[in-house]
Amino acid sequence: MKRFRPALRTFGIFLRTPTLSRSIIALLALALLLLLAVNTATLVMIQRTSNYNDTVDHSQQVRLAAKDTVMLLTDAETGQRGFMLTARAEYLGVHDNAVAKLPAVLERLETLVQNDPESSARVAKVKQMARERLALMDETINQTRTGRIGEAVARIRGGQGKTLMDAMRVELAAIDAIEARRLAERTHQSEWAQAVTVAVNALAGVLILVLAGISVWLVRRYVAEIEAAHFELDRVNAGLENEVRDRTAELTRANEEIQRFAYIVSHDLRAPLVNVMGYTSELEQVSRMVDEQLTAVDAAHPGLTDPDVLRAVREDAPEAVGFIRTSTAKMDRLINAILRLSREGRRALAPERLDMTGVAQTIADTVHHQVAETGGEIVVGPLPPLESDRLAVEQIFGNLIDNAVKYQQPDRPIRIEVQGQETPDGWVEYRIIDNGRGVSPKDHERIFELFRRSGKQDKPGEGLGLAFVRNIVRRLGGSIEIESELGQGSTFHLKFPKRLTMLGDYQGDRL
Amino acid sequence: MSHSVKIVMVEDDHGHAKLIEKNIRRANIANDIVHFDHGEAALDYLFSEEVRHNGPVLILLDLNLPDMSGTDILEKVKSDDNLRRAPVVVLTTTDDKVEIQRCYDLGCNVYITKPVDYEAFAGAIRQLGLFLSVMQAPEI
Repeated sequence: MKRFRPALRTFGIFLRTPTLSRSIIALLALALLLLLAVNTATLVMIQRTSNYNDTVDHSQQVRLAAKDTVMLLTDAETGQRGFMLTARAEYLGVHDNAVAKLPAVLERLETLVQNDPESSARVAKVKQMARERLALMDETINQTRTGRIGEAVARIRGGQGKTLMDAMRVELAAIDAIEARRLAERTHQSEWAQAVTVAVNALAGVLILVLAGISVWLVRRYVAEIEAAHFELDRVNAGLENEVRDRTAELTRANEEIQRFAYIVSHDLRAPLVNVMGYTSELEQVSRMVDEQLTAVDAAHPGLTDPDVLRAVREDAPEAVGFIRTSTAKMDRLINAILRLSREGRRALAPERLDMTGVAQTIADTVHHQVAETGGEIVVGPLPPLESDRLAVEQIFGNLIDNAVKYQQPDRPIRIEVQGQETPDGWVEYRIIDNGRGVSPKDHERIFELFRRSGKQDKPGEGLGLAFVRNIVRRLGGSIEIESELGQGSTFHLKFPKRLTMLGDYQGDRL
Repeated sequence: MSHSVKIVMVEDDHGHAKLIEKNIRRANIANDIVHFDHGEAALDYLFSEEVRHNGPVLILLDLNLPDMSGTDILEKVKSDDNLRRAPVVVLTTTDDKVEIQRCYDLGCNVYITKPVDYEAFAGAIRQLGLFLSVMQAPEI
């Protein structure tokens, strides 16, 4: 029983779920049941017809035997009378012939009606009376033969023979009537059964037609639904494609605009900076001239100049100029960084097949000297090839490897490893693993932001490298993630599509 | 350099104009400097009969002008039969390669990027002065 439970449950679920296939299966099952019913009814009908035929045959035989009995008795009587009238032996032949046949006929009749008590009783009576009648005939024939014709005629006149004959005729007619009635009954039953069968057949036929109609209607409706859904899907797909195209174009436009914006802003920011720098230098010269003048005045007339003014000119003014200089220099670097990012964003990408092991090894060789100086090593494993923009990929790996060297832990020799493999879904993954100072998890996002840095600020830099790297990685359709703990080294995970495909028509500017 | 050569400076930033002028003077160039802070006024002046026929002039051109791009002026000057011989020095903050190429394509004679570093800036202007002092501007 336990084994059937899941099957039962499945069946239950199947029954409760209104689906087209369920409806069609139900309809087919119904039609099959109907066919089965029709088949059974027809079989029953055939069986009954066969029974009826047997009965009809039986009744006909009974009736025939009864008729034969009457005929033979009549023949025997006719022969007897002929002999009595003519005393010629040939009449006796008719009589003898009939008498000889009679027992077999009676026997047949008896056998035929042995299952019918009423007819059996009548046949027994007939048999008895036939015997009596034949005995009577024999008596008169013998009297005739011995010349006692008068006695024989008197015997016939006695009327006993006629009474027996009439009684036998009545009995046999009764048997015939019974069989006739039975025959009529059977015929009526048979006709009724036939009518029922025809009706059942017709009804089943109609029902099957109805079921077929419903099935056809269901299938047609379903097909229409599928077609409608298909059409709708096509429409939605087309809409989606258009939408994707529009969005891509929009994004490309927005990106272009941002790049142009960054470009223009950084240029326009430079113009005032030229003034700030220029006039700071002018002020510096002025302050130098004032200083020289005051020094001359002080030498000629000591005590005439205010020492505060001298200090302001000799110390405060150069200090102020120094701060303005470093600030503007920094601002210039930042503007240049934005320009560089904007330029990289506008550069046209040219995908080509890259031997990544070679690319990474070339970059590793450029830092080899720095790494070897502190007893470290850099290992480039066999890397899967990539179809992408060479310059962009070189910039990404160059920046990450430079960073690994730059942010090494001073108390242990540096070890950098570059690994990579293909993923089954058409991507290529690379890892750059170092044992450097690491990045605290709270700064994992921050280090990729423009002008943001993390950890001890003891190395020169503007917080550009990783922002720049992420920008390029994204342009190449890839992603970059860091896995790191402070003091535990870092692993940068890079993921690129195996082949760089350009989105939209925008191919970048040639800058 | 011929005494009569006029320097026409088209520069919308007065600070820059003053710095350029100061550094030119420091390089001992004493030529007249005519300053315009709009492209339209500069074109009117350059295309006036007096200038067109009584050159010689040297044009110092900034590209980022409020009313037009310096390249428009460059194009007009270089397509004029008289003015096209006048040397044009583009002096601007833009260091875009495409822009530089475009200026040379249009016939610019020298392209100088204004460095933000003042020493470099002053150096560049002094070199320009040196350049101006040896350059023989044609009569136009």
